[in-house]
Parts: sequence; structure tokens; C-alpha cells
Amino acid sequence: MDEDENGLASRAQAGDRQAFALLVRRYQDRVFRFILRMNNARDEAMDLTQETFMKAYQALPTWRPDARFGTWLFQIARNAALDVLRRRQLVEFVPLDPGLSGVEAFDPQDGAPLPEEQLSGRQRIALLDRSLHELPIEQREILLLRELENMSYADIAATLNIEAGTVKSRLARARAAVLANFRHHAGENAHD
Amino acid sequence: MIKPLTKHVPDMLLLSTYLDGELESAAHQELADHLTKCPLCASQLAALQSLAADFGNLPQETLGFDLAGVIEGRLAAVRSPQEKKGPARWWRLLPVSIGAAASLAVGIGMGSVLLGGAATMPRVTAMSVFDTLPPGGLCIGPDSCYRNGARK
Repeated sequence: MDEDENGLASRAQAGDRQAFALLVRRYQDRVFRFILRMNNARDEAMDLTQETFMKAYQALPTWRPDARFGTWLFQIARNAALDVLRRRQLVEFVPLDPGLSGVEAFDPQDGAPLPEEQLSGRQRIALLDRSLHELPIEQREILLLRELENMSYADIAATLNIEAGTVKSRLARARAAVLANFRHHAGENAHD
Repeated sequence: MIKPLTKHVPDMLLLSTYLDGELESAAHQELADHLTKCPLCASQLAALQSLAADFGNLPQETLGFDLAGVIEGRLAAVRSPQEKKGPARWWRLLPVSIGAAASLAVGIGMGSVLLGGAATMPRVTAMSVFDTLPPGGLCIGPDSCYRNGARK
């Protein structure tokens, strides 16, 4: 599948617009969902998705077949989303120190049912969505790439331009944070 | 190197990496063994697995239209990357360059005429197309009535 993608990208690079159209069809919803979950604004996400593919087409001469097309495309999508978030001044920067302060804070009580265990499937999804959007952007994007895009650590590192070791620690911190948010809201829900 | 899990405090870094199958085989096996004996870590791993499953159940929003068609329309107005990569064809710009050079030369020529001899012509001569006497022979002032020798 990756070979096909890179083959299509090579053809598109050589000027084959049909090949590029196939890549757009293959990726348009994934890129849209990623941007939508990054900036939480549907119309803006639609525009940015379109801009992502236009930028990708214009940048095709710089793409090299040793890079996976999908990873390269998500880099462009991510940059487009971050640019808009910066303009909206909504980007929250978290320390890049790989220390995991807070990650170990989870301390479940033995035998006590966890609040999230009492939620219906629909409630869980709604709470996860909410918890995800409360995360700093650096944690949100890495979770999206891992959990929704199933990217390997190497691909995440390439997409975010960070070290593989940083992927591990940032992902662990993001999971701890989203779980903490989730449990917090689940607890609120349980008391309603 | 995996650190020994002597404390019964779930290590999120290890559990998260384990969940993703990104631990080295020895560390993976060590943690797998630990998970069979530590309910706290097993519970935390189960929470992470449940979270991962929930991610898979998030709504699958779609764009709702064929973006490729839109992109194709926009791309029709731009050159292909292949064209952009090709060598510059300077001769295509030759007519434009010649036209620009000719326009520049004409402009410089006209400018030099105006700033040179023609500019030194007496102003009176330039205005001589107008009669100094207003229509009807009315004098608007002594100078304009007698300049053409009427005073003589």
C-alpha cells in the first residue's frame, strides 16, 4: 500500500495529475479529520484540507521517495493547522523536558470501580472528545497520529520532527493527561 | 534498559510503549511477566487499552465531497511541478524584453528632448497661439493692449 502511495506520488511528481487526484481521494478524509481534531472548527478544517493538498502539489518537487508520502503529507497538514492556531493564539506550549512529572500521578484505589467503567459507550466517546480537546496541542497531535493514524514511532518522529525518544515520553505524558481529564469528567458525570 | 518495577506504581512510560509494541523484546517480556503479578499495572494497562479502543470509536467525520475535483480545477490554473522543475526557457521572454527595451529607449529620448533644447524655448513663444487681446477688443490691462505695438 505504501509502495502504491509512493508510486502514485512519483507519478504525480512527474506531472501526472490523475495520480495526484488518486492520492487526494485516498487521504482527503484522514487529513480532514486530523485537522478538524487539531483545531475543532469544521469550516476552517475544510479550507485547510484543501490548502494542504494545494501546498503538497506545489511542494511535490521537494518530496523524496525515501520518505513515506503519507508522513510527508501529514507534516504539511500539521503545519497548516498550527499556523492557524498560532494566528488564533490558541497554541499552548508545554515544556519539552522529557521528564514525566505527572505521568505517575495516577493512583487507582484497589477494588473501587473506576468512574469511567460506569459510562455508556456514547458517553465515553463524548468525554474522550472533550478530554482530547482540553490537551495542549503538542499532546493532542501526537495522540491523533498514534491512535487515529496508527503511525509508528518512527513516522511520528518524522512528522513532528522530533527524536524517537521524545515520541515515547510525549506520548506517555499525553496518554496520562487524557486519561486524567477523562476520569475527571467521568467523575463529574457520575455525580450528575 | 528497563528499570526494575520494584514499586507498585504504574510506570506510564513503560506501559504506553508496551501498549504500542515499541519495547525491545527483553523489556517487553519483562513487563509482560510483571503484568501477570501486578494488578495495579494491569489495571492501568487495561485503562490505556480501553482508551485506545475509544479512539477507534470516535466519529469518522468526512469531508463530504470529492476534493480531488476541486483540486483539479485549481491546479488547471497552475503549472505542474514537472514544468516548474524544467530549465528556464529564456527565449520565451525575448519579445517582452525587446518591447521593454524599446519603451525605455523611447522614454529616455523623449525625456532628453524635453529637458534639452525644447525646454529652453521662450515661454512667450509657447503661449503665442493665444491672442493677447481678448475677444471684443476689450483691454484687460495696459500691457495686454499695447504689447503688439498699438502704443507706437
